[in-house]
Amino acid sequence: MASISLSKAEKSYIQTGLLSNPPLRADGRSSLDFRSVALETGVAPLANGSARISIGRTSNGGGTEVLAAAKLEVESVGEDGVDGGRIMCTVSCSPAAYPHISSNGLDDLQHDMSSILHQTLSHLSLHPKNLGILPNKKSWLLNLDIAVLSDSGNIYDALFMAARAALWDTKVPRTRSIEYKVKKTGSSVTTGTGKNGGSGDMDVDEDTPSGFDTRQIQNATDFELPDYWDEGEVLDGRDKWPVCVTLNLVPPVHYLDATLQEEAATPLKLLLAFSFLPSTPPDIQGMRIIGPGEIKPSYLKDLVKDGEKYARELFSSLNAKLKDEDLRRNQKARDRFEQHR
Amino acid sequence: MISFTSYPLQLDDESFYGSRQHHPDAAEDIDMDLDDEQELFEAGGSKNLTYPGEPLTSSHAYMRGHGTYVNDEEVIASVAGTIERVNKLVTVRAIRTRYNPEVGDLVVGRITEVQPRRWKVDANSRQDAVLMLSSVNLPGGVQRRKLESDELQMRNFFEEGDLLVAEVQAFFSDGAMSLHTRSLKYGKLRNGQLVTIPPILVRRLKSHFITLPCGVDLILGLNGYIWVSKHVKESDQEGEEGFDAEAVYSNQNDRIDELTRVAISRVTNIIRVLASHFVPLTDTLLLEAYEWAVDQEDGAKDLLQDDVGDLLVAMITTRRQ
Repeated sequence: MASISLSKAEKSYIQTGLLSNPPLRADGRSSLDFRSVALETGVAPLANGSARISIGRTSNGGGTEVLAAAKLEVESVGEDGVDGGRIMCTVSCSPAAYPHISSNGLDDLQHDMSSILHQTLSHLSLHPKNLGILPNKKSWLLNLDIAVLSDSGNIYDALFMAARAALWDTKVPRTRSIEYKVKKTGSSVTTGTGKNGGSGDMDVDEDTPSGFDTRQIQNATDFELPDYWDEGEVLDGRDKWPVCVTLNLVPPVHYLDATLQEEAATPLKLLLAFSFLPSTPPDIQGMRIIGPGEIKPSYLKDLVKDGEKYARELFSSLNAKLKDEDLRRNQKARDRFEQHR
Repeated sequence: MISFTSYPLQLDDESFYGSRQHHPDAAEDIDMDLDDEQELFEAGGSKNLTYPGEPLTSSHAYMRGHGTYVNDEEVIASVAGTIERVNKLVTVRAIRTRYNPEVGDLVVGRITEVQPRRWKVDANSRQDAVLMLSSVNLPGGVQRRKLESDELQMRNFFEEGDLLVAEVQAFFSDGAMSLHTRSLKYGKLRNGQLVTIPPILVRRLKSHFITLPCGVDLILGLNGYIWVSKHVKESDQEGEEGFDAEAVYSNQNDRIDELTRVAISRVTNIIRVLASHFVPLTDTLLLEAYEWAVDQEDGAKDLLQDDVGDLLVAMITTRRQ
């Protein structure tokens, strides 16, 4: 495991503090307090969506820092691609973030993180509808790459928050299908036609009417980007992307947002990934128990219930922050436009 | 429960140069060293910080020391840091660096490895330090010779991960430092927590064992590792000559009451805040900061908020001018 080394006295100091009433933690937080979380979206200009997040950052750095970027790539269905598009999540850890782990250990660690993230985010129930381009021909591959720049605890929550922020920020370019039509004289000419061959994005191209033909084009062969400058529309279903809370367990208590030292002193943790949609009950999108030890099912039930409460709070404040970021960036873009006019 | 903040805005050039100042204390030190030696500042203007590649002075008049190199008959800084000069020797002390040990320094370290007749200790230096079995106090009397049986039970004294306070005794030929714990003040650490700051911020003091009136002991390791623990009365430390192995090499914490725990957290957070604002630590400064923090009647965790931290540092720097 990725924990740092800690003496027995330090471990017992942390554990006794957590078990006392009320729980006392090394930096004076209560058991449900997070450190302050800094978040910024749109940090990578070449990505379709990006975000960076840091938990517990002080004015000269430190804290858990994670950078996430989503990049879209065109795939042909049948070669690698899947009809309707797919999502690939990759986590890579900087060796500087884990100086005490060997390069093999680091590979294992980033594989663990990648698989948890990938299995949760690429699940069908979360799949965005507008990743297809041409049915059975072309689709988008969404690469979500996350880099762990430094780790001072609670890395999984940071990964999921960064992933959610980057996917929230992701814009899918608008496409228009092209087909070849044979003229009556016999020579073939390329024409662009209006109706989109994609499955989910009917609402985008009302501005390019396709004459009288309102049927879906089945024989489209390729696509083009109607507007190079337009970033496109947001990824479908961006409200659904889950957030994760890590419950660190020192039975009978649990706490959130562990620092590295606390993680080393509490081997058992429960990851819960929830997605919340308005007016529907929350879904558990992922669940992991990491570390040695065991949990009784009845205890687990209580933990899930508590976890949902924390996740909902995390979710709503993350959403508020993401909306703030959208506003800030719009404002910035407008200012820049004003300046250059 | 959770609050989101933004990253600070990118500094533009103007505000960057405006902020290139020293902490007043450090600036004073440099002025004292160099006020008669304006030559060194010829190239650097009135700035106190060097940047890597900055020409400092002529290599004919001065000798290059650590943190500098010579190119085209000029002494050039190789790191960002402060200029120091001893007679004709010019050195640059880097702001961010690993700990440079000197004999007699008090350090706090963590055992990384147990080897035949020695422990390897991480002391924030470039290499792991070495603690020989012959330079620790063995149970059963200070003057006892080490036996073969001691070699076989080294993990009973220190094992991997253990924290200890020690003194730098000597250097090996490869530059690694050798530590010793042959004093009742030194040895294994318990009843508290560790906080790490840049080593440059720990100043040499008369004593590095500090007792704050709030029932908290501090050990300021010169390597930037600081141990904050519950106060132990001197009389309780060890009975006169009787050297109690149980107590010295124990892994068990004493009972620590809630108030002491809160005080320990508060002191730790103050140290973190001061370090993040690059304020060098001294005992008086810590005491002032602690009193201020208690006066605010906030919880210990509030210190970690940016605005409270800024206030604390502003209070300290104004009071000391």
